[in-house]
Amino acid sequence: MKKIFTLLKINLNLNFGISALKYRFTREKKKRWEPVLVVLGIIAGVCSMTALYSLMMLGVFNTGLALNQPEIVLTVAFLFGQLMVLIFGIFYVMSMLFFANDLNILVPLPLKPYEVLGSKLAVVMVNEYMTLLPVLLPPVIIYGVGMKQHFFYWVKAIALVLVSPVIPLILDAIFLLVIMRFINVRKNKDLFAILGGIIGILFAVGINVITQRMPKGNEEEFIRNLLLGNIELIELIGSKFPPSIWVTRALSQAGISGVLYLLLFIAVSAFMFVVLMWLANRIFYKGLLAGQEVSRKRKKLTTNEADRQFSRVTSPVVTIFWREWKIIVRTPIYLLNGLSGIIVAPMIIVVMLVSQKSGDMKELFELINQPGAQMVLTLIAIGVVLFTAGMNLVASTAVSREGRTFWISKIIPVSPKQQVMGKFLNSFSVALLGVIIMSVVMAILLELPVIRFIVIVVIGAACSVATTALNLLIDVLRPKLVWNNPQEAMKQNMNGLLGMLISFAIMAILTAAAVPMAVAKLPEWIIYGTVLLICVALSVLSLLGLFAVAEKSYHKLEM
Amino acid sequence: MINITGLSKSYNKGSVKAVDNLNMHINHGEIFGFLGPNGAGKTTTIKMMIGLLNPDSGSIIINGHDIQKNPLDAKRSIGYVPDNPDVYDRLTGIEYLNFMADVYEVPADIRKERIKYFLDIFNLSDAASDLIKSYSHGMKQKIVITGALIHDPAVWILDEPMVGLDPKSAHLLKELMRKHCDKGNTVFFSTHVLEVAEKLCDRIGIIHKGKLIAVGTMDELRQGDSAGSLENIFLELTEK
Ligand SMILES: Nc1ncnc2c1ncn2[C@@H]1O[C@H](COP(=O)(O)OP(=O)(O)OP(=O)(O)O)[C@@H](O)[C@H]1O
Ligand SMILES: [Mg+2]
Repeated sequence: MKKIFTLLKINLNLNFGISALKYRFTREKKKRWEPVLVVLGIIAGVCSMTALYSLMMLGVFNTGLALNQPEIVLTVAFLFGQLMVLIFGIFYVMSMLFFANDLNILVPLPLKPYEVLGSKLAVVMVNEYMTLLPVLLPPVIIYGVGMKQHFFYWVKAIALVLVSPVIPLILDAIFLLVIMRFINVRKNKDLFAILGGIIGILFAVGINVITQRMPKGNEEEFIRNLLLGNIELIELIGSKFPPSIWVTRALSQAGISGVLYLLLFIAVSAFMFVVLMWLANRIFYKGLLAGQEVSRKRKKLTTNEADRQFSRVTSPVVTIFWREWKIIVRTPIYLLNGLSGIIVAPMIIVVMLVSQKSGDMKELFELINQPGAQMVLTLIAIGVVLFTAGMNLVASTAVSREGRTFWISKIIPVSPKQQVMGKFLNSFSVALLGVIIMSVVMAILLELPVIRFIVIVVIGAACSVATTALNLLIDVLRPKLVWNNPQEAMKQNMNGLLGMLISFAIMAILTAAAVPMAVAKLPEWIIYGTVLLICVALSVLSLLGLFAVAEKSYHKLEM
Repeated sequence: MINITGLSKSYNKGSVKAVDNLNMHINHGEIFGFLGPNGAGKTTTIKMMIGLLNPDSGSIIINGHDIQKNPLDAKRSIGYVPDNPDVYDRLTGIEYLNFMADVYEVPADIRKERIKYFLDIFNLSDAASDLIKSYSHGMKQKIVITGALIHDPAVWILDEPMVGLDPKSAHLLKELMRKHCDKGNTVFFSTHVLEVAEKLCDRIGIIHKGKLIAVGTMDELRQGDSAGSLENIFLELTEK
């Protein structure tokens, strides 16, 4: 047991980067503001989401109250929370149990499989609380306050909230243990990373579509209808996944029967935990060790092929351009985040606009047939194109992505200016691809003529030069080179956020220039001309800035 | 060929003095072995020689070019192998070598010949079209060595190059080093294997706590100490 706690301590330390934070606060004093800023950002984000969600839950509670079933809010919340843990937990548990880098260190240590698995799972659980607490606490509080519950309710509630992720996570873990025993998932790690990413995006789109559909001002009624329409469904799912029903009864029934349901819930959780540990000791390491391989061809190069490969001589800038492309395309996380703007964003736009053809956006589509509206539609299309281009993370992580291999960039006899040029061209080609695809989508959806399509592409491209250069500039100035998996380089990188902010600032400038002119009814070409001119000016300035700092900044970076 | 004068470097704002006023001169045609206990400052020195770290003070001249004032020319004459073979996991061996050949601007026929030669002697031909991700530690090490030597640099700077190589590959590398120096070029490498240093090196430098405490040929090092073997000399010198 002591071993588990030691392991747990180390895992939690790594998980939250506690030692690294300490080092940062005591040794590298200048970067102190960074974690503070991140935490503030997260708090702000979570608060606004939670506020919206709490309102929805209040609606559910009121509807339930009217139906004389106020506890439905608890069922809905716990069902939702536990399902969320079940679905997202799969990928999380999988990466923790089977793909984590430190497994190669842990496995040879004199530890029982269940100790390793238990400590890893506990870390997952602690992390799940972060997403689960905002989901469960509002409804628990709403119900407790709304039904004027007494002290004992709150004690039961705390226990249930804390235990709630156990069952879904253990189900995930058991499922994975069995699967891993038979299928070599590790070999297809990349595939699973992509799958996880896509499910995440679909989830986000789903939430988006639902919130889009919520009529403004009538949220309560909307939720009421949604709930009434789905009450059977909820009960059905509840009966297939009884723990949420037990939770509901444990909380809503007073006296001894409430306590019994509470005990039942805890007992089942504990029992499943024992089963998992038993299973872990038998098959965890077998599944883990089964396939630690990367697929490989192992075919001998034929002379012909080799000749062709070697005679492809290109200039340093071009070779850097292609290196970046190859690495992006072959690393799932980069592909997903870098190219999502190109493929996923247009898809979301299509789904949203098409599903809205009758809803709020009806007026927008009615505009299509009106004579004077073409200009407004073109400006809207430009806005959408620039927005998706601005979400792109390729430029703002271009240097960070090199990570530990950055030494190569430091020793090759290619000037930082040229290296940055290669990176710029690469990021710009990604952005340009996004601009073109998005412009095609918008032009078709809004039924714009070819000439307008060209205007959209040209302005989108010109603006992308500026945003790409500025995003790259940020990453050249302060790249994050120390990371252990690509996820950290892309997603846990402040530069991505800063880059987006800058892109949106540029959009704000362009909007501020275009809207007054449109309102003043100036000729169209003057508006486009001015916007284009601003873009070109910004592009020239930011490119000059980028190349001005490249040399010095690369020199300063030590490995 | 390599001229180091008054080189110093400290980490963490001066609290750790890793290299302290180092002076070294390495001649044409010389294999120079750089020895020292763990944490003595070998890797730090090497990283400054190739421009990965910026010295606090002092200068480094490689093949007539100052690495700080004229970095591109200096880098063109260096082949560097780091102590850890961290390379682009998601490129194939061939792609990596072609990348290196491109950035060093090696013409097509020469790169073809050299890549084939190295893949052949290092037994990597079969794996060359696989992703580097799938390589063993030693295979990675060999692909990095190949990439570093592809432009036939005059000065080789190698940080513990033998670690992880099988006996045959290590032997090959030693032979390559000897041949290279016989042509009037220079090899500078760090190692912990004293037998290799003793047999292979023309001159040896020993660094301890950032300071160069001994430098010279085996004969010169032996003087004043009858015991003789490099091991004894090393242990005695680094006692304090
Ligand atoms: N990035 C760093 N930050 C802080 N201190 C460092 C860093 N890198 C090295 N040091 C310190 O500098 C000193 C010299 O380290 P260096 O890596 O040069 O030793 P070395 O001679 O190569 O050792 P080894 O034989 O173990 O490779 C050590 O005291 C080490 O702790
Ligand atoms: Mg070292």
